[in-house]
Amino acid sequence: MTVAAARVPAASTPSFIGGMSRRAKVIWTRRLVLLGLVVAFEIYARFIGNPRLFSPPSAIVYALFDEILVDPRIRGAIYQAFTEVLVAYVMAIIIGLVVGLSVGWSNFGRRSFYPIVILLYAIPQVILLPLFVLTFGIGPACKIAFGVSHGIFPIIVNVVAGMRNVNALYLRSASSMGASNFDLARHVYFPHMVPSLFAGLRLGMTLTLLGVILAELYVSTGGIGYWTKLYAETFDPAPLFALIAVLAVMAILLNELVRIAERRFTRWRN
Amino acid sequence: MSESTPFRAAAAGRPVAISIRNVSQRFGDAGSPNEVVAVDDMSLDVRRGEFVCLLGPSGCGKSTLLNIVGGLFPATDGVVMVGDKPVKGPLPRDISFVFQESTLFPWYTIRENFDVAFKFQNVAKSEWASRTKQALEAVNMGAFIDHYPNQLSVGMRQRVNLARGIALGTDIILMDEPFAALDEQTRMVLGEDLSELLAKTGKTIVFVTHSLAEAVFLSDRIFVMTARPGRIKSIIEVDEPHPRSPDFMLTPKFSELRNQAYALLRDEVRQAIALAREAEAAHA
Repeated sequence: MTVAAARVPAASTPSFIGGMSRRAKVIWTRRLVLLGLVVAFEIYARFIGNPRLFSPPSAIVYALFDEILVDPRIRGAIYQAFTEVLVAYVMAIIIGLVVGLSVGWSNFGRRSFYPIVILLYAIPQVILLPLFVLTFGIGPACKIAFGVSHGIFPIIVNVVAGMRNVNALYLRSASSMGASNFDLARHVYFPHMVPSLFAGLRLGMTLTLLGVILAELYVSTGGIGYWTKLYAETFDPAPLFALIAVLAVMAILLNELVRIAERRFTRWRN
Repeated sequence: MSESTPFRAAAAGRPVAISIRNVSQRFGDAGSPNEVVAVDDMSLDVRRGEFVCLLGPSGCGKSTLLNIVGGLFPATDGVVMVGDKPVKGPLPRDISFVFQESTLFPWYTIRENFDVAFKFQNVAKSEWASRTKQALEAVNMGAFIDHYPNQLSVGMRQRVNLARGIALGTDIILMDEPFAALDEQTRMVLGEDLSELLAKTGKTIVFVTHSLAEAVFLSDRIFVMTARPGRIKSIIEVDEPHPRSPDFMLTPKFSELRNQAYALLRDEVRQAIALAREAEAAHA
């Protein structure tokens, strides 16, 4: 092959796909799939589906800016839901860590308390929602409490799991240097359980959100649950989907936050 | 060699750094069939600046004894005194450990590992950087201060681990088979480095090993232990000043001491193997 001949194909690659790196291909494929789904949804909703149940994405976007985000009552409800999720999540993390650390600290603790945690985890909490309402009323406290009750379990379970199999030599070495129990938790147990902990934190986040939204749907007088129910019952799908989209964005945002934190704490693995 | 005094003779006149009196350690419930006597009524003194080796077959309780001396767990019976203090828990100001495998935390860089060790030990923050640098340079690892342990070879890691033990600045260092995971050659070189470091710093060292050559090369006194339950079978004195050069290993004195240690150890190793086999049969 001559030099000139070899150069020709490299110089003339007009094909869009051919010129991309593997990573770019992956990203574009992903985007195309999403775009395809949106288009399919648009066509289905416009020409085939029942307009009382489905709404084309274009109408949803319109409803988002025309009905949802301009209404101060709905904006307030979104803000309130977000606050509830955030407060519930922070509480779930704190309680989950404290309970998880104390249960997982010793073999004795794990064997005594862990089965109880698992037992409680197995109960579908929805059936306890009326009790939450009776205890905490119908305001934000009830939603936060219900969110916490969902969020703590995966955190506890993963913290306990993460604390197992800590290299005993690390603990012994740290103790010999004078490490306190707090030092052991901070510098040995915590870094060791980071991968497991973050799996728990992410699951906990999803479940906290679920708990809050569930409570919102069942007992709400003007919260995000009230509006969701209102739109669903009046067969007004566009603002309903718009509201759902807002919740989805909320979930993605929180998930990203957890992911960034995770990356920060697992730098040493790479 | 005439200008340096023999090490043992010098150590003999020094005060006792560690005194072990009638220490026993049993695991399992007393009197039950699963009771194991790991250490049986051991007494010995280690003088200041002395390098003492516990040599014995696997499972003879030498690591157990080391952990008791370091206060990592209490003895079933007996007393350990460090200076004039009875050991009741870790004494981070007096004793540091260097363990078998590298116990550097993989999630921290070398620098962070040293920092956290100083923090545990309550060293003033102003000293951290200089002590870390000095210790790492002593083992020729200064260039790796910002590496994570996983980025280093096993030998380099153990070098750093050794440096950490020294940086902690305690008078006593307990070493639990620190070179066990290393290949023969790295082990030799690290042994030489250790001998040199010790001659410079005058630390008191108790070293657990089952390598005969290592024991003879490094120790002032070797305590040969029996198979389980661990007792002192015999004491071998190695009358050779530190730092010891690798040439020491070529001398007839070295081979003689090594053979002497092996003769003492041979029966115990056989017995330890028999014990292990018995235990296995009992489980089957």
